[in-house]
Amino acid sequence: MSDDFRTPYADYDVLAKWDTPSWNDRTREVVRRRLEEVPQRRFLTEEEWRLLEAVTARLIPQPDRQAPVPIVPWIDEMLFENRGPGFRYADMPPLRDAWRQGLKGIAGEARERHGTDFEDLPPDRQDEILADVQHDRTDRRWWGDLPAGGFFLHLLLHETVAIYYSHPAAWSEIGYGGPASPRGYVRLGFDARDPWEAEERHD
Amino acid sequence: MIEAEAPRAKAGRAPDVFRPGGWIPMQGYSDEEEVDFAIVGTGAGGGTLACKLAEAGFSVVAFEAGPFWRPLEDFASDERAQGGLYWTDDRITGGADPIELGSNNCGRGVGGTTVHYTMIALRWRPEWFEARSKLGYARDWPISFDELEPYYEEAEEALKVSGPVDYPWSRRRRRYPYRAHEVNASGLVLARGCERIGIKWSPLPLATLSAPRGMAHPCIYRGFCAYGCSTNAKQSVLVTFIPRAIKAGAEIRDHAMVGRIEMKDGRATGLLYHREGRWRRQKARHVVVAGYAIETPRLLLNSACPDFPDGLANDEGFVGTHLMCHSGPGVWGYLDEEIRSYKAPPCMAVTEHWNYDDTAKDFHGGYAFMSQGPLAAGWAQDVATNRGLWGMALRNEMTRYNHSAGLRIVGEVEPRRENRVEVVPDEKDQFGLPIPRVTFSYSDNDRRLMRHSIGSMRSVLDAAGARELWDDDDTSHLMGGCAMGTSPKDSVTNADGRTWAIPNLWICDGSLFPTSGGVNPSLTIQALACRIGDRIAAMAARGEL
Amino acid sequence: MRPPEPSRRPLLAVGALVFAGAAGAWLLLRRAAPRDEPKPAAAARALGAGAAVLAFSVATDSALEHYRGSFENKAMFIAPAVSTITIAAAALTLLRPGTGRTAKGLVFAAATATGAAGVGFHVYDIAKREGGFDLNNLFYHAPLGAPAAIGLAGIFGLLSQRFARGETGLLGNDGARLIAPFAAAALLGTVAEAGLLHFRGSFQNPAMYAPVTLPPAAAAALAASAAAPRLIPAARFLLEGTAMLGIAGPVFHAYGIHRNMGGWRNWSQMILQGPPLPAPPAFLGIAIVGLAMLPLLEEDA
Repeated sequence: MSDDFRTPYADYDVLAKWDTPSWNDRTREVVRRRLEEVPQRRFLTEEEWRLLEAVTARLIPQPDRQAPVPIVPWIDEMLFENRGPGFRYADMPPLRDAWRQGLKGIAGEARERHGTDFEDLPPDRQDEILADVQHDRTDRRWWGDLPAGGFFLHLLLHETVAIYYSHPAAWSEIGYGGPASPRGYVRLGFDARDPWEAEERHD
Repeated sequence: MIEAEAPRAKAGRAPDVFRPGGWIPMQGYSDEEEVDFAIVGTGAGGGTLACKLAEAGFSVVAFEAGPFWRPLEDFASDERAQGGLYWTDDRITGGADPIELGSNNCGRGVGGTTVHYTMIALRWRPEWFEARSKLGYARDWPISFDELEPYYEEAEEALKVSGPVDYPWSRRRRRYPYRAHEVNASGLVLARGCERIGIKWSPLPLATLSAPRGMAHPCIYRGFCAYGCSTNAKQSVLVTFIPRAIKAGAEIRDHAMVGRIEMKDGRATGLLYHREGRWRRQKARHVVVAGYAIETPRLLLNSACPDFPDGLANDEGFVGTHLMCHSGPGVWGYLDEEIRSYKAPPCMAVTEHWNYDDTAKDFHGGYAFMSQGPLAAGWAQDVATNRGLWGMALRNEMTRYNHSAGLRIVGEVEPRRENRVEVVPDEKDQFGLPIPRVTFSYSDNDRRLMRHSIGSMRSVLDAAGARELWDDDDTSHLMGGCAMGTSPKDSVTNADGRTWAIPNLWICDGSLFPTSGGVNPSLTIQALACRIGDRIAAMAARGEL
Repeated sequence: MRPPEPSRRPLLAVGALVFAGAAGAWLLLRRAAPRDEPKPAAAARALGAGAAVLAFSVATDSALEHYRGSFENKAMFIAPAVSTITIAAAALTLLRPGTGRTAKGLVFAAATATGAAGVGFHVYDIAKREGGFDLNNLFYHAPLGAPAAIGLAGIFGLLSQRFARGETGLLGNDGARLIAPFAAAALLGTVAEAGLLHFRGSFQNPAMYAPVTLPPAAAAALAASAAAPRLIPAARFLLEGTAMLGIAGPVFHAYGIHRNMGGWRNWSQMILQGPPLPAPPAFLGIAIVGLAMLPLLEEDA
């Protein structure tokens, strides 16, 4: 997989709207917390945390950033608070158990195949393992009753992606309008852009 | 979003949804006082009925498990922070096609799911009320379109629905109270595609204001409808029927989780509910359950007692059965034009062609499809999980967000006994109540319908100029579980939502639906609630309560 | 029963300011005009004033609306540019009727042509959209009748020049007898546009009925006055009411903006999405012309 990232919104920063009518106090409060109050480790073990850092760095690689958007701290917070999405699949264990088991599975696959920790593998080896997990090409010994593909898609990828694309840096790179209250939008048609929206530039 | 974890509606006042920090006076009842109606739930069914009954002069207390928000000050413009609008208590989902619960089909808070619904206010096709006798599938409703029509009108007026002057489907109707909104680019993709393949389309009738109404602002097209409207343009139950109900003397109790319906001598005597850290009892002459298609059956089942060992109103074993969702496959593609689907309400254009035209169908039932408006995180999850994309491939793909457009159906699903809600006795929630377990599988007919709809959506998107089309899979809405009917042999309640088994126990929400239709259910739930309110008042006047 | 609405106090303050400004302008203009001016010359000034007000309304309205349309087509600069120049030419006609006739004539002719072309452009713009001439497109896209207003300003300007030269006849007829029904028709066109947009707003405020009730009556009385002079006092009364409406309209629209999300603090969205501030003065411009025709009709009688 190529690690080149290109965006037509390179000069757009959604945070430039912070003090404009597109943001209100409530929104500033929740986004400020997201930017400044990144939670500490409370649920995962140090090993699990390191492994998850390596995994999420492959799911959402950020070589273009000196300070990558944090993902693992928010997963840890969710698990600490045991805050699920409102359901769990009948074939899945409860939330915390599923994550623990899933991480164990990935670690087990890495050690079994390469005799080393997942986080010490080169990126393409890591990607191979993750793709196998995604497509259920795994060894049951490491996974117990947890469906590997289900864990990968519905828990791991689902949550990782939601966290990343809830960060203003991600909003900016895809040209997303972001917060919009009290000022919403006026121009709604094809190719119609308000001055407070991202401008697309292809060089 | 603010975490309103303590009750606000108490001590004779309730939050004023129209003024930051404001309050309005509210009638209060003590637990010992036997009120006329105790209503469980404040959404499209319960909130609407609370208003109708209070305005008819009954004493009413409505219980809501979640908070009582003031949207103007509580709601952030943020997908993640607004997750508190959803019902996220533990539930198990299984079957061959397990339904994702929690977010798009369940709400927690005064106003229920209408606080985060997409405001689509469509009437049913008249023949759907006689699906079995006129269209030859599923079952008939115990009421007709004609009986419900005045209540559709009442609900549309109460919500000041903004709709087109000529809506091309259903029966000729009075003009919508407010005019339709300007259609955004993603809606125009649907319009263009439909015009090119020669089928009708229309701007959607939406329960969001296109002009000011009292203290409520018109829509500003900020696009966060599914995450709570911070302008009050959305005419949710929270800002329409609830203020009316309170003004008419109803009490709304927020953060009040009902655990059981109390019974004596075959009649309901009140509710056991949890508020401010302890269990309390409210006496009532009548109990209405309006917790939607999962919590309503769950409460009936969890209220099992020696006289009703299988749960209330469950003598024939119907409670929780015939649960339906709407199937919701979608088709997506990229256009040369910028679409920017984050702007304006997510769904602004619709075709109901396949709800009304039954020719050349290899399935029973119908579907409508609407234009879509996913926001950043939701879109990323959709792209990642449906296409299995991750890594730099995902990040690069996401930069095309502003050029993507899609369609998604609201597809009719057959009512089948094996699709159901049960309770799991050995797994308890935070209140110590057995959690629900939902089992769902599509029928062959459901699958044929979905396949057909994907073909239709692909042809529309293709005609509109969208490229690189791909499909995804989703569901929306929940219906059934306590179906209404004409006989205790095949239903839980009669046409008035009154349970056959217990004369002072009523149901008023989407769980009453015998069939699911091919449009969003909220307007029909609200019309039913308006009708049930009038029926109760009429019965009371005749001494038949 | 109407639900409670936000405070109307700002409406009173803004209203008082606007009416004070309008009264001041009117007094200044009265001073500028010689007291014993002959009727055609006074009519010429009034036609110029009507043209100026109309051009002002179009200049600001088209600037805002075409900005909303992101000046997607370069031709969208024409309307605000031509109407701005027309304001100058019309104001000059009003204050110095005798000067720069050829130049003013060219400007007014250009304004007239711009109006005609604008209507064509707008019809084309609606026709090519999804839904074509359905109500939603008429509500939210290029207004069909709006460009006619700049044409109208041009025509009033040209007529003003004729009257200033003392030529009060038109097409072999008495000018006022033709201009009165023409202005009445123009008024009805403006009523149609206000009616369409107020219908879009569901007449949510009872004041929104004003521009679809009073001006049609004024138009009828004005047109009838050309044939039945006894209606002239009624026409005058109704046209003065219409003129007041043209001044009061922006105040109501300012209140409408106040009632939108964020109110005036959110002006960058709401001057575009809320009710259009510059539109109502079109009623004032046409009413001035109608009022100017009444003394001439009286003279004929």
